[in-house]
Amino acid sequence: MSDVKIDKVLVSIIGRALKAITGEMSVSMEKSTRSPILCEAKDFVTGLYDAEGRMLEQTENLPILSFSLSPVCRHIAAAFKGDVHPGDVFFHNDVFTFGNQNNDVAAFKPIFHRERLVAWAATKGHQADIGGAVRGGYNPNATEVWQEALRIPAVKVYDRGKLRKDVWDLIFANIRLPIVMEDMRAEIGSCTVGERRLLELIDKYGLDVFEAHKEHLFEATAKMMEAEIRSIPSGTYHGEAQVYFDGKTPGSRYTIRVEITVADERIRFDYSATDPQTDGFVNGTYTSSASATILTFLQMVNPNIPHNDGMLRPIEIVIPEGTILNASYPAATTFGNHLCPPNADAIIRALAPAIPERVTAGWNQLLCSLSTGQDPRRRGSYVDILFMGLKGGSGALSGCDGYDHIGMIDASGGVLDQDYEMFEQQTPHRLISHEYLADSGGAGEFRGGLGVETVYQVGADDTQIVAFGDGDVEPAFGLFGGRPGTLNFIELRYPDGRVRRAASKDLVRGVPRGTVYVQQAGGGGGYGDPRRRPAETVREEVRNEVVSLVAARALYGVALDPETLEIDEQETARLRGR
Amino acid sequence: MRYKIGIDVGGTFTDLFLWSPAGAVETFKVLSTPEDPSIGVLDGLAAIAESKGESREALAAQVTTIVHGTTVTTNAVLTRGGAKTGLITTTGVRDALEMRRGIREEQYNNRLRNVVPLVPRRLRRPVRGRLDHAGAELLPLAEDDVRAAASLLKQEGCAAVAVCLMNAFANPAHEKRVTAIVRAVLPGAYLSVSTEVLPTIRFYNRASTTVLNAYVGPVFGAYMQNLASRLKEVGFRGVLLIMQSNGGVALPEVTAQHAASTLLSGPAAGPRAGVAYALEHGRSDAVVVDMGGTSFDASLVQKGEAALNNEGEIDRLRIALPMLAITTIGAGGGSIGWVDEGGLLNMGPQSAGARPGPACYGRSGELATCTDADLQLGYLDPAYFAWPLALDVDEAAAGIYRVINTNMAHGVREVTVKRGLDPRAFPLVVAGGAGALHACMIARELEIPTLLVPPTASVLCAAGMLLSDLQHDFVRSFVTPLASADWRALLCLVDEMTAAGGSQLEVEGIPPERATHQAALDLRYVKQYHEVTVPVPRAAIERADLEAIAALFHARHNQLYGYDLAAEGTPLELINVRVKSVGLAEKPALPRLAAGGADPGAALKGKRRVFLPERSAFGEAPVYDGHRLRAGNVIPGPALIERTDTTIFVSESFSARVDGLGSCVLTACAGSGGNE
Repeated sequence: MSDVKIDKVLVSIIGRALKAITGEMSVSMEKSTRSPILCEAKDFVTGLYDAEGRMLEQTENLPILSFSLSPVCRHIAAAFKGDVHPGDVFFHNDVFTFGNQNNDVAAFKPIFHRERLVAWAATKGHQADIGGAVRGGYNPNATEVWQEALRIPAVKVYDRGKLRKDVWDLIFANIRLPIVMEDMRAEIGSCTVGERRLLELIDKYGLDVFEAHKEHLFEATAKMMEAEIRSIPSGTYHGEAQVYFDGKTPGSRYTIRVEITVADERIRFDYSATDPQTDGFVNGTYTSSASATILTFLQMVNPNIPHNDGMLRPIEIVIPEGTILNASYPAATTFGNHLCPPNADAIIRALAPAIPERVTAGWNQLLCSLSTGQDPRRRGSYVDILFMGLKGGSGALSGCDGYDHIGMIDASGGVLDQDYEMFEQQTPHRLISHEYLADSGGAGEFRGGLGVETVYQVGADDTQIVAFGDGDVEPAFGLFGGRPGTLNFIELRYPDGRVRRAASKDLVRGVPRGTVYVQQAGGGGGYGDPRRRPAETVREEVRNEVVSLVAARALYGVALDPETLEIDEQETARLRGR
Repeated sequence: MRYKIGIDVGGTFTDLFLWSPAGAVETFKVLSTPEDPSIGVLDGLAAIAESKGESREALAAQVTTIVHGTTVTTNAVLTRGGAKTGLITTTGVRDALEMRRGIREEQYNNRLRNVVPLVPRRLRRPVRGRLDHAGAELLPLAEDDVRAAASLLKQEGCAAVAVCLMNAFANPAHEKRVTAIVRAVLPGAYLSVSTEVLPTIRFYNRASTTVLNAYVGPVFGAYMQNLASRLKEVGFRGVLLIMQSNGGVALPEVTAQHAASTLLSGPAAGPRAGVAYALEHGRSDAVVVDMGGTSFDASLVQKGEAALNNEGEIDRLRIALPMLAITTIGAGGGSIGWVDEGGLLNMGPQSAGARPGPACYGRSGELATCTDADLQLGYLDPAYFAWPLALDVDEAAAGIYRVINTNMAHGVREVTVKRGLDPRAFPLVVAGGAGALHACMIARELEIPTLLVPPTASVLCAAGMLLSDLQHDFVRSFVTPLASADWRALLCLVDEMTAAGGSQLEVEGIPPERATHQAALDLRYVKQYHEVTVPVPRAAIERADLEAIAALFHARHNQLYGYDLAAEGTPLELINVRVKSVGLAEKPALPRLAAGGADPGAALKGKRRVFLPERSAFGEAPVYDGHRLRAGNVIPGPALIERTDTTIFVSESFSARVDGLGSCVLTACAGSGGNE
């Protein structure tokens, strides 16, 4: 292999081809799955890994799932060493062997080129149910993993192309919804698509050439990342953020503390000073927390760096076990993915003084809900994560407003709203409204992205609603004179007049038909002094009713005639102190 | 003479393809006139008249048919030059249009902004009234709201109004009433109603498509009126037909209510022309590629028909109408090569014609354009292209050539592999001024054994317009488990849509015996979310042949997604019913080229030093005058074949043969299957 002459152009070509393959795997999942969490919201990732488990390329619809696949792949390769064959398929979700979240179940398929293991295809998606005490997951009362989910350490479900029916049945006997079985078949199908295409690629150039050029691709990518890091002033930076309410003790709070050290072309994220783990389910796993760190940092560098092993080489992440970001066995951890937003806040705060032109203000934090029950129209059960409700605004940055209704930073617009009409087909509920929320985006020279208000009427008795998230205590923060966004909340208005404000981690059973569900996802933080925002822009936003007259005056210093909405130049100049 | 003319108005050039009953064809190119494209059309007619030594009027009087492809609607969207448009929609969902389901296409790029919506929020007017998921009325339509909304839109000066209400796909009653009220208040406005434009489930798709239709409707109408009156002025009395995105043509008055169906009018005729040349070799399948100045388009023909997608995007806006499945990538003659921080070479998407290029992003390592590289490699005659070179390093030029070829090859994969098809099974038809310089290497990358460069390569779409049939697509939601489908109702719906297609074709002068109607079902496994469109014979529906229909679906599903659930017996669900109505047009025969022997010697005009990619080195290659070649001439690679508007590079591992239609057919030589 060492005598292969490296052709730099071929390196580019192979990199491009790998990207196309994981993209095709992603299309296969999106188009053939059942759960709206997968086919509508695209809460999954598809990837290719080399024989050692090193990342070749990924399509990261939801990046928080992404950076655990390579460690899991290494784990499977080691655990089954000598027992990996063509036609095998493995499942895995176990958070204590590098999984990120119980509901995120992966399928791995080894890829053989003429009887030699050359790579792995993997697809991981958020499954609609994974056993445990609560349908759909997110049991806020869990204190141990077994109360949350069925643990699937690496298990072989296909052996040399033959289904291991006993293993398969054991798994799906512990999962409530039959669609999970079909959606796991879709994951295997997606891996098969990846396998077919990668073998075509290797056949085309020859294995030796492919292998040698792959190494060069890693190195070239590492160099790109090193160049990005070198452009950050070397030094040590500190940031922190709060996690509110562990699902058990009202008023409880925990602090994430990160120390970031930039030394020339390397960067290190050290979470040693972060608070200890909780005794509930608000805990991260190493891979969910490290994914959060990586995806946040990737938004501060050139967005076109290929996603492979080389990208990660200059990055070191230290998260001691026993902290809220890396809980010890057998802790409950289902909330772990959702520690990404505060983790991101800590990183942004730390790096804002160093690279003010590259960081955003704070993003709206996730607050989400999941409804489940029986659909009386079809006498069948359903699970729906209300993606359209959770998507608030992103933080603004220098020269650019925040993105409206984008959702949590860990998806960054990769996770989509349900289509409204499909929502009414797939759940018994009726959508009343889903609209931008005026004045939700933090005021600034660059405005924070807008949040949304979502209202629906519950369509069946005995509906169960699980809330999970944050952002109901502290809004998305502004930067450099920008103002904060607005808070999240979820409220249930019962037919008998009672109103219940859901806690940020909550399980509400027996919600009756006719209840009105109201959710606000807040806006992102603003960037820079709002009085520097062009008055004409503010006026246009008032005309479109996304900024109110009152806010235009009080926050932006723009006076408008309430009838004509014309700018009162004199008054505006006075308000703006000019 | 009784002429037929295909006219393709592009961004830079207006291409014309003239056919006369004597069997001759001629091609013309004039500059486009974007401020009023009909001027360019008339200039084109003048150019033809001049070549015949006739007056424009004398020529126009002899033209029986003009088929016209236009980018007016596309440009209206891309430049936001469409009509001032209002949207009337159900209370609570007016922002769906702007939200686009909350997507940000580049997740790690915090500077990527959302698309400016075609209708600003203040012109998206909510009205009360509600249908449930099955179309039953939950709340009557608040007609006062509708009147107030219509008055506001009138006051604002809207020239177009889109109407899209929740769940209207299941019951058009509320939309019908809204339409009546809006018509009364705004009699002059262009009305686009979701249940007329796209009566299918999925609110965002429907709303976005309906608004796009409203937005381009008045622009299209005005242009058509303008063009028709200019043509009338010069004495044209024939039939004017418009190219639609679905690859078919239609009368302007039929197209007017569905203006959005012309958003891909320009390139839509390419596949039809491509396959016409492939048919000379008994092939009714082809991949058609077209490389222009800034972009590379790839499309697909199967069994003589252009592959369509049921939804796509224009400028990140969803349009869910059947349109040519075309992959466009930013790889053209003007694409710029640059080296990234990792030392790797990239091409585009920045183009020299569309600054800012990479230098403006503060990236070092900008090299040269693709055309620069083609020139450096000896493929283009420097006498024709006196462009300054950004760089004189052969190695860089060779690198640019290879990388852009790979990018284009991926474009071909998009239209084949992603549809579960093997690109090697299709001949590659190559069009566009620059396409034929790169085609051999694209073919090698994909191991495609046969390429075909038609004599009309530089005006392929204009040629295709004369070869297209009339076509209308219909789609209706029909949501049911397939096993318990009401087959009689389903058959009725198919027949109803077929009848609608038939009568539309009759208006266009197509008698029933020249019309065909193909039904298709959008099916999925129960509880899946997305459908697979499967063409189904009407007879199978009539027989309620569940098994035959299911078998078609399982096979297609496996091909696309790597698995099927046939063995599990998973039931199927039907979502939409489609009918495609085609009226066979009278198509001119393509002229034949005089035959000669295998020896192309008579056309040899010299030699040039060119880059030989198979051996990554320069060498001598003969240069032939393409206009002097005869059918049967054989030209082994490496060689260059120059025509005034196209240069073909036959690489070493290919051999060219001129066929009876004057196409150069490039065939991979045996034993040259290896890769560099």
